[in-house]
Amino acid sequence: MSSSRPLDGIRVLDFTWAWAGPYCTLQMAHMGAQVIRIESEKRPCVTRLIPPFADDQPGPNRAGYFNQYSQGKKSIQLDLGRPEAVEIVKKLAAQSDIVVQNFSAGAIERMGFGYDTLSQLKPDLIMISICGYGQTGPERKYMGYGPASVPLAGISSLSGYRDKGPAEVGISYGDPNAGIFGAFAALAALAYRQRTGRGVHVDLALWEALLVLMPEGLMDYAMNKTQAERDGNHDPWMAPHGCFKCRGDADKWVTIVCGSDAEWQALCRAIGQPELASDKRFANATARKANEDALEDILSAWTAQRDRWEVTEVLQQAGVAAFPSMSNKDMATDPHLEARGYLVRKDHPEFSPRVHAGIPWQMSDTPCEVRAAAPLRGQHTDEVLGELLGMSEAEIQQLRDGQVLT
Amino acid sequence: MAEQLLTGLKVLECGNLVSAPYLGKLLADLGAEVIKLEEPGGDSARGRGPFPGDTPHPEKSGLFLYLNANKLGATLNLRTPHGRGLLQSLCSQADLLIHNYRPPEMAGLGLDFDTLRRTNPGLIMTTISYFGCTGPYRDYHAFELTASNAGGWAFISPGASDYADLPPLKAFGHQADFQGGVHAAVASLGAYYHRLLSGQGQHVDVSIQECIAAILEMNFTHYTYAGNETSRLGRRSIFPWCMLDCQDGKLFVINVEEDQWQRLVELMGNPEWATLEIFEDRVQRGLNYDALFPLLQEWAANWKVADLYKAGQERRICMAPVNTMADLFASEHLKAREFFTTISHQVAGTLDYPGAPFKVSEGGVETPRPAPLLGEHNEAVYCGQLGLSGDELADLKQRGII
Repeated sequence: MSSSRPLDGIRVLDFTWAWAGPYCTLQMAHMGAQVIRIESEKRPCVTRLIPPFADDQPGPNRAGYFNQYSQGKKSIQLDLGRPEAVEIVKKLAAQSDIVVQNFSAGAIERMGFGYDTLSQLKPDLIMISICGYGQTGPERKYMGYGPASVPLAGISSLSGYRDKGPAEVGISYGDPNAGIFGAFAALAALAYRQRTGRGVHVDLALWEALLVLMPEGLMDYAMNKTQAERDGNHDPWMAPHGCFKCRGDADKWVTIVCGSDAEWQALCRAIGQPELASDKRFANATARKANEDALEDILSAWTAQRDRWEVTEVLQQAGVAAFPSMSNKDMATDPHLEARGYLVRKDHPEFSPRVHAGIPWQMSDTPCEVRAAAPLRGQHTDEVLGELLGMSEAEIQQLRDGQVLT
Repeated sequence: MAEQLLTGLKVLECGNLVSAPYLGKLLADLGAEVIKLEEPGGDSARGRGPFPGDTPHPEKSGLFLYLNANKLGATLNLRTPHGRGLLQSLCSQADLLIHNYRPPEMAGLGLDFDTLRRTNPGLIMTTISYFGCTGPYRDYHAFELTASNAGGWAFISPGASDYADLPPLKAFGHQADFQGGVHAAVASLGAYYHRLLSGQGQHVDVSIQECIAAILEMNFTHYTYAGNETSRLGRRSIFPWCMLDCQDGKLFVINVEEDQWQRLVELMGNPEWATLEIFEDRVQRGLNYDALFPLLQEWAANWKVADLYKAGQERRICMAPVNTMADLFASEHLKAREFFTTISHQVAGTLDYPGAPFKVSEGGVETPRPAPLLGEHNEAVYCGQLGLSGDELADLKQRGII
């Protein structure tokens, strides 16, 4: 028992594409579920088509975006426009515990795989439906890509540099966020099914799943009918609180935050300017907020002469939160992440092993691990049809000759 | 009360600020019984706004009220041996203990898992920390800003920035802490599902830095696949992907597929410039952003946000208003989905709160109860659950243990 994984024996039928749905099923693969992703070369996942590609050579199996978010999954290739493929999907659904899909609202019903249909085949089925605006409501048919859900949810109107316009946040944040909430819903539903024997259908909107992460903005409006001005990295209650430029011309920055007067005093000693600790302009958080520009000038002058890791070490030694602003290169080569086993390298048939971001949690008694690199498109078609549906090689060949497995 | 998804799950929360309290909220909203144990001075979220009239009050923090609805609240001083003993007694009756104390403080606060599991082999303990419980950075101090940078997010935010002299930018609020909370909920429920089958508990160690590194889109692999270090500076590789100024506000537009661009051109009335070679595909449009953006802007300036949003979406062009908080409370779509939920609190009053992150066909969110006052359920927890007498409770209070 002790070496098993938390979701051993759970099967996930994965209709997802792009990022939100795949991030949802990735969590299940991380915990040992068998995730079977349905793909088709007629409608390839966009993440197989865009850079980066291994060694800059394009190819559907060489895309870093797809490969990051499909680690440990299986892939079967099916043309869902064909009646034979519809039958195969129904047979697979009948043997699955969880179905995840992120088509636009209403699409999966038109394809014949809606919850009402599939739950007749598997009465305790759990289904997670993810889309931009949700399955109901007047705007349910609207297109809701991950980048668009950020301004939609009000994040842009509150994020941004002081005196500049509303900002995006650098990633299609609505997508992974919907994905992780979908995984949470699926696991809560598994506990419910275990207790009651009943399945559940979950309707998850990118928009709402972001709104629940905006309490400071929404509660401020609920209480005061106002919203705060955009103010970069500043915090309404703490100072210093920012990213400071480090030595040299390169784009290197370090964050510094003091959460208390004691931390501020420790900082003053650590940077060799103990007189600042008794400077009335900076005596408490209110004073430091009022004199934040002067405070930042002093800190910037200090960091500008130092390497970001040196700043980190000096301040952390003093109990002050400081850390570099990490790039993708910094992350992929970080000794701490390496020591924790977070950086994952798995063999791949088409190129040398690449580093991927791994599993952001560790479990003491049911260790989770990435079992394999992302699948080639259709890599497991024969295996799944043979082992799960009991099809013979001849039957599979007949489907292949009939262009069903494309 | 109807059965909810997590009815029967008993949770103890030693959570402060956002990450562990949000994990507790996610579980409480789906029916788990969550006892929040605050240090006698209170969760530090009580000291952060928003507050009504911007006047701080420990029972009126919008952040605290939101994060702690549906929980029972008791106080407990883990910095005393007696307090740690009480925690151990409570743990013997719990399924899941969640906390976000720093790893080097855990043992001294009685959050030593090997000790706790001896009295309850089924106990799950979830630790959320910024850098995890192992590795060279485990003892490091951090806050939200630290984590959004340590995880590689801020360095690429806001994206397509013109301001090389401005720093990496964190998103509004506590996004890194929230991601820590939701990812921890996934891991905790994975461990709980295993426990339902096996009876076995375990320790779950969640690193917020790693949660953020997991959501960098294709950026992580830009380096490991092709050797490119990405940053917040530069241009989008595809275009249109921008905010446009309309008459009464801003509208975001993004065209990923070619047919979406064609429909946008049609909506613009098929201007002659749209046939220029420099705009012929998304890559060309990205390269020639400087020429294209003013043309789009000139066109959008004639529209009201709501009209263009509707006209675009009806043609299946992905657009979104750059919503303010006021816009969100006024949204007909969110009203139709009953997103906001009203909660009455005896000190803070009646307010509309953000509601559930998703709808479920059954077993979903019940009528929410307000966040606890500081120590509101001390009697229910210590007398009701642990069987202490009223005198013992008064004594604990007098000695600063609760």
